[in-house]
Amino acid sequence: MRMRLKLKTVFVLYFMVSLFGLLYALMQLGQRCDCRDHEQSKDQQISQLKGELQKLQEHIKTSELSKKTDVPRIYVITPTYARLVQKAELTRLSHTFLHVPQLHWIVVEDAPQQTQLVSDFLSASGLTYTHLNKLTPKERKLQEGDPNWLKPRGAEQRNEGLRWLRWMGSTVHGKEAAALEEAVVYFADDDNTYSLQLFEEMRYTYRVSVWPVGLVGGMKFERPVVEDGKVVRFHTGWRPNRPFPIDMAGFAVSLRLVLTNKEALFDGDAQMGFLESSFLQHLVTMDDLEPKADLCTKVLVWHTRTEKPKMKREEALLKQGMGSDPDVEV
Amino acid sequence: MPKRKDVLALILIVLPWTLLITLWHQRAGNPLLPIPRDNRTGTSKAHQRSFRLQKPCLSENKHIPEVTRMKSIHSRSPAWSNALPTLHIITPTYSRPVQKAELTRLANTLLHVPNLHWLLVEDSAQKTPLVSRLLENSRLNYTHLNVETPPNLKVQRTKFRNARIPRGTMQRNLALRWLRANIGPRLGQSGVVYFADDDNTYSLELFEEMRWTHKASVWPVAFVGGLRYESPKINSQGKVSGWRTVFDPRRPFAIDMAGFAVNLQLILSKPQAYFKLKGVKGGYQESSLLQDLVTLSDLEPKADNCTKVLVWHTRTERPLLVNEGKKGFTDGRVEQTEMVRRRRSLSGCNNSPQTLFPIFLNEMSTLQHPISLQYRKNKPHPLFSHLLLSRYCI
Repeated sequence: MRMRLKLKTVFVLYFMVSLFGLLYALMQLGQRCDCRDHEQSKDQQISQLKGELQKLQEHIKTSELSKKTDVPRIYVITPTYARLVQKAELTRLSHTFLHVPQLHWIVVEDAPQQTQLVSDFLSASGLTYTHLNKLTPKERKLQEGDPNWLKPRGAEQRNEGLRWLRWMGSTVHGKEAAALEEAVVYFADDDNTYSLQLFEEMRYTYRVSVWPVGLVGGMKFERPVVEDGKVVRFHTGWRPNRPFPIDMAGFAVSLRLVLTNKEALFDGDAQMGFLESSFLQHLVTMDDLEPKADLCTKVLVWHTRTEKPKMKREEALLKQGMGSDPDVEV
Repeated sequence: MPKRKDVLALILIVLPWTLLITLWHQRAGNPLLPIPRDNRTGTSKAHQRSFRLQKPCLSENKHIPEVTRMKSIHSRSPAWSNALPTLHIITPTYSRPVQKAELTRLANTLLHVPNLHWLLVEDSAQKTPLVSRLLENSRLNYTHLNVETPPNLKVQRTKFRNARIPRGTMQRNLALRWLRANIGPRLGQSGVVYFADDDNTYSLELFEEMRWTHKASVWPVAFVGGLRYESPKINSQGKVSGWRTVFDPRRPFAIDMAGFAVNLQLILSKPQAYFKLKGVKGGYQESSLLQDLVTLSDLEPKADNCTKVLVWHTRTERPLLVNEGKKGFTDGRVEQTEMVRRRRSLSGCNNSPQTLFPIFLNEMSTLQHPISLQYRKNKPHPLFSHLLLSRYCI
């Protein structure tokens, strides 16, 4: 009897203890998310954090990057034209440029007037910029359905950029003029991809510097071939007999050279692939080219191209009069 | 009779203990006792945890700076604040000629975003040196993962993108699994998960919009579904009531991968939620994940009540490497891609001639490759050019 009683109480005690333990654990489950208590104060926290975030972004924008004034300036000339992907291309290009100190972006639109989209975009970008526009004459413009290798593109716009630089060079004095002595001019298309290292390579250019370009000319990359520190020929699969068989993204010119050779412009009537040569042959010979990117062995820029987005359904909607809101800028 | 009683007693004793043990097991690693709530320096705890998170991904040289100091022009690490929610960006990637370019410009964009953690998942059997090197030099906080999609699930590279076999699914799932394994659902670890493809374009504003996501937030995406942009429909109460798309707006979540972000805690609290791998209809991949996480009413519209476009679904053209030839014209030692080096060893491929033909016509007249000598200039037979093209693999 005693034994039984003892066992019974033991059993009961055991059971009660385990039951309480279970209940305790279940209570812990309920308490796991204590965020509900903080829900109301969370909104206050969020506004606090948003303020901190803004401060942080300001800090980034005004950081020592922009204060670094002792390096040569890079003037980047980008021709652009209105199409669906324009804003996207310019956006991601600006993200790259924001990392480069002492960069002055010259955006030249192929348009009769400066468009709202580009103006708004540039003013919000945080970059130092100049906004220009120059319309390509109709005969030189690609028509709908023309393959893009038929006529050279962007020549007028690049020339406009050069004109602006020459005008600026003639009107500036003193310290600014001295800064221009060391500056560099680069022609950057809005759909290519640039690594940050590229800009540091081109920054110290005396005459014209060159480097490999990836994914161009039907090859993995095109490049100048360097022997004994000098460019001897060009490695390209497409018409290597051109005076300068190099892509627009594969060279940079010192501003000094641009300002002293006022006749050097891009020839809009040049044959396909000769656009770069039409400009460079006024400025330099192959001997004078300065090879960069580890004697032209590294690829720091890629000639990427963006697909045209398919608008079949948009066009169908437009026919029904139910197109997307044109006020929404894309 | 005593046997039955004993058995009953045994069951009644064992039952609560088994329940307790299973509970312990489920919450293994997590303290059953709550972390003392007066410790509102849960922020300092968050910093510790995120630091631990970064330790595997940061190299020895990097550290989380309080003030951004410039050692050289490009040594500036992205900003980090202990108080901001972390953005976990999951990007699947695969080897192709434009891979390095795409990742470079995406990294240039991500470097501007504070408190960002990039999970880059390669579709490969091993981590490639190209991507490893790119990540090391990028100065971003990153985690490098890889998982190879089995060939039966892979999209045929030559066919038009077949939406039935969504690309990147296994890679995204792996990243989700990594998050769940490495960040326990502890208190105070605030974060947002976003799936970013390597060829899209993101504005910096987008990241700040998604940072304050409670459950899941949505916004318009440009150039998807054959429209200028697709967006959620917002009703007068400011809630998502439908989808402004032409392609199957009846989907539970008719939204592109780039059009939504999910709170990290929500992901961690529902460990069974993954992208469905097989049997997913075209355009339903996003729904396969979101329907396990949120309902339509839980969605938070961002981007000015879904009236601004902050992300573009851009796609990069495939570069035509017609002049490379079988043996490869360019120097293989120069790093361009891993892909092209491997492809060179393949003898045949099935490129569709349509896309290459117009460009090829132009190249034909000036091609310097010896094979061009087989053809009369300016008169390429379409059939021959197809045969020729089939030897020029990308």
